[in-house]
Amino acid sequence: MRSSGQDQQKIHSIWHRLHIDLPLLAGLLCLITLGLFVIYSAGGQEINIVFKHASRAGFALIVMLVVAQIPPLTYRKWAVPLFVIGLVLLISVLLFGHVGKGAKRWINIGITNIQPSEIMKLIVPIMIAWYVSEYNLPAKLNTIIIAFILVLIPTLLIAKQPDLGTSLLIASSGIFVIFLAGASWKLIISCAGLASAFVPVLWFFLMKDYQKQRVLTFLNPEQDPLGSGYQIIQSQIAIGSGGLNGKGWLQGTQSQLEFLPERHTDFIFAVFSEEFGLIGVSLLLLVYLFIVMRGLWIAVNAQDAFTKLLAGSLTLTFFIYVFVNIGMVSGILPVVGVPLPLVSYGGTSMVTLMAGFGILMAISTHRRFHV
Amino acid sequence: MTRTVKKHSDKYKPTIVAWRFNVVLAIVVLIYSGLMARTAYIQVFEPDMLKKQGDKRSLRTLANTVQRGSILDRNGNELAISVPVETVWADPKIVIDSKALTMSKHWQALADVLGRDVNKLTSRVIQNPAKRFVYVERQVSPVVANYIKELKIPGIHLRKESKRFYPTGEISAHIVGFTDLDDKGIEGVERVYDKLLTGNDGKTQFRKDAKNRIIEILAVEPPTEAQDLVLSIDQRIQAIAYSELKGAVEAFKATSGSVVVVNVHTGEVLALVNSPSYNPNNRRNTAIHRFRNRAITDFYEPGSIMKPLAVLSALEFGSADLDTIIDTAPIRIGGRRFADPRYYGKLTLAGILAHSSNVGATKLALSIPKEFYLDTFFDAGFGEDTGTGLIGESSGIMHDRQRWSKVELATLSYGMGLAATPMQLARFYSTLANGGVKRPLSILKINPEDIKNIESTRIFSQKNSNAVVTMLEDVVNHLAPKAKVPGYRVGGKTGTAFKALAGGYGNDYVGLFAGIAPITKPELVVVVVINEPGGDLYHGGEVAAPVFSRVMKGALQVLNIIPDAQKVAQNRQDLIKIDKSATSKNKDNVDV
Repeated sequence: MRSSGQDQQKIHSIWHRLHIDLPLLAGLLCLITLGLFVIYSAGGQEINIVFKHASRAGFALIVMLVVAQIPPLTYRKWAVPLFVIGLVLLISVLLFGHVGKGAKRWINIGITNIQPSEIMKLIVPIMIAWYVSEYNLPAKLNTIIIAFILVLIPTLLIAKQPDLGTSLLIASSGIFVIFLAGASWKLIISCAGLASAFVPVLWFFLMKDYQKQRVLTFLNPEQDPLGSGYQIIQSQIAIGSGGLNGKGWLQGTQSQLEFLPERHTDFIFAVFSEEFGLIGVSLLLLVYLFIVMRGLWIAVNAQDAFTKLLAGSLTLTFFIYVFVNIGMVSGILPVVGVPLPLVSYGGTSMVTLMAGFGILMAISTHRRFHV
Repeated sequence: MTRTVKKHSDKYKPTIVAWRFNVVLAIVVLIYSGLMARTAYIQVFEPDMLKKQGDKRSLRTLANTVQRGSILDRNGNELAISVPVETVWADPKIVIDSKALTMSKHWQALADVLGRDVNKLTSRVIQNPAKRFVYVERQVSPVVANYIKELKIPGIHLRKESKRFYPTGEISAHIVGFTDLDDKGIEGVERVYDKLLTGNDGKTQFRKDAKNRIIEILAVEPPTEAQDLVLSIDQRIQAIAYSELKGAVEAFKATSGSVVVVNVHTGEVLALVNSPSYNPNNRRNTAIHRFRNRAITDFYEPGSIMKPLAVLSALEFGSADLDTIIDTAPIRIGGRRFADPRYYGKLTLAGILAHSSNVGATKLALSIPKEFYLDTFFDAGFGEDTGTGLIGESSGIMHDRQRWSKVELATLSYGMGLAATPMQLARFYSTLANGGVKRPLSILKINPEDIKNIESTRIFSQKNSNAVVTMLEDVVNHLAPKAKVPGYRVGGKTGTAFKALAGGYGNDYVGLFAGIAPITKPELVVVVVINEPGGDLYHGGEVAAPVFSRVMKGALQVLNIIPDAQKVAQNRQDLIKIDKSATSKNKDNVDV
């Protein structure tokens, strides 16, 4: 499948030398371009926003290409130091970070403000993949327990900021590694049981009032249609008013008329749905599915356990992004601040995501041997 | 794919269980399908509701209210006018947010000026904290409104509205009707011509965004001016008719009564009154039956008042002429005996009407072919509405069936077996007075230039109609002297009918009188109905004729119609000077 025919191998090798996975790049560019158009529409048709987003996308692409040049073995070597640095940064954010939108997420490292939780999105899967792959797979119980603890520490630190969305993403990225590493079904089920037992603890001791409110709102958005339920009702109205064919680009009334809050960031899917309808949504989901499948394909074909687990985790985290975002916008999940990957306006998450894809490309192109 | 993986896992460091990836892939695809299904559900199955919700959030219609037009009588007197008032309303959210409820002195003052209990007032606000609009008091006078404005209670607002005022009160209540609190006509011409009176509020439908900026204008409906409505009513005659009727209903202990005055040339209704009436400016505790415009809704068996139609029918068919002599001895038809209260001997057509002979009318009816005879009833407008367009107008009862027994045809000739509203009777008599030309009755004033455009149908010949009108003058002179109007030649016919009840006739009567004046050149028709007189007097000639006389007299004077009776003319030299020819011509006709 990978290497059939001389010509293909030749082309393959050119991109290989540049450490670029062509199908993945095509899918990503497709999403970024689409994002520019939708942001133009959702952002009140201001071309400045589009330029700003485009330059960030360009920067993210460069980051991706740079990351792709680094052989996966390097990450493996640096896994522990990176993880420790990440934890230090997270703790320092809690101690003296900037407050933005009611949560401490940013820290000044001299040159610029960074968001350590974003970097942890990459470091946690690297760390867990390294730790688990140090032992023979499938992993033993005590390996898994330690891995869980390693996941839990950054997760709780980020949840404390508070940033529920990111902490969930990081937790799932770690858990994916553990799952793929071969945790037994018994363990998975008992963990699920444990997690559900943890829910009341979460509800009564860890969640802030506004987070509880989100869950309540999710369960019944009509209880306060003008308050906390407003966003979710508005977004469903926007999606629904698109119908099968959509209203056309720049024609969506709900979003254009500013009835929809956060419409160019987290709720951009509603704008997209209103303007492009069910057909557009189907195509968008196909692009996402294509990227996820390509990522899983890379994981399956990776040459060692570390890269396999890492690729699998990064891909699934990307998938979780899509799922959680569309789920919340269409009202089947509570509202957590997760952007629609590569389409939503906002630089930080895009850079992290693209760096993740850089790692995926590195995994797919840096091969110690060719078959 | 799976195989390749296995190969690798075997060859190199033992790694991941491959099927986990397949499970993951399956789950991913499954979840994507779920997302697709969810979106499809929202977009394809729910969109109508959601689209509507979307429009609800962005579509707005702006209405500019125009003040309701006035209703005037034919001479421009106001029957219904709108006066500016203000409505007090509260925005409970603002009241509560600005903690205005602590201003207890202000609230007390507000309650005092409105004559309300302060606790009830505030509880309305407290009980609806989330609402943005509750009425506090509707339609307060400008003085009170200013006082409330000065109180400056946050969240208490005023809104300009208009209130209907009816200067003529109960006199014209039935014809004018009234509006509800929202200024919408719900009775009488207020309702029939609601659209004309309100005009069309100009409407602008537009889409607005969440910041209340207008995005696009979808439709603009230009406003049409509210128009004044000019009725055919002459308030002066209306007032006379009402006071006479009210007096008669009280004097004869009747349950109700109606008077209709019609201009015979145009079909315009100059007066339409009922008793009991109501005060349209204060309708609280008014019994519902008082709202009924009986002149158009209630129908009665008209009785002898129909006899002129039987006579006219015979004249038209040719089975009788002015010289025909009919013996009114009792006769037997279909086993039933027809007799008058006493034997009147041999009578001319005029005599039959003057004595109100049932036998004579019966004989005339039976001398005409059934179809021709019945057609005259339908032609005269029985069984159809009178064309006023008023809501609730009844068409009475006039059976349209194939089989009529001789008895039924006979009783029809003296007004039994059919039922008519006072309006229908007025229309028939004006057709008669008009020389046989039938016109629809009109409640709106008809401009002089439009008179020739009025829909009109000749149903009786001029000659025969005039002949019957002349006979009606004899009736007044012989049978109903109380209907006479000094100075004028008046014709008319009494009617007294048992009220029909289920399964027969009861003990209650209806006394009617329909008449025409002046006979020389008919101008007016007046119909009087006194329903269920409770005293000793019940005959149409006793209870209805006097009302007719006074109303007709008043109407003739108000309209400045020249008296055509010689006796009066002699007493008034000036009149003779003005119209010598008329008086000399009339000389021949006096006391026929």
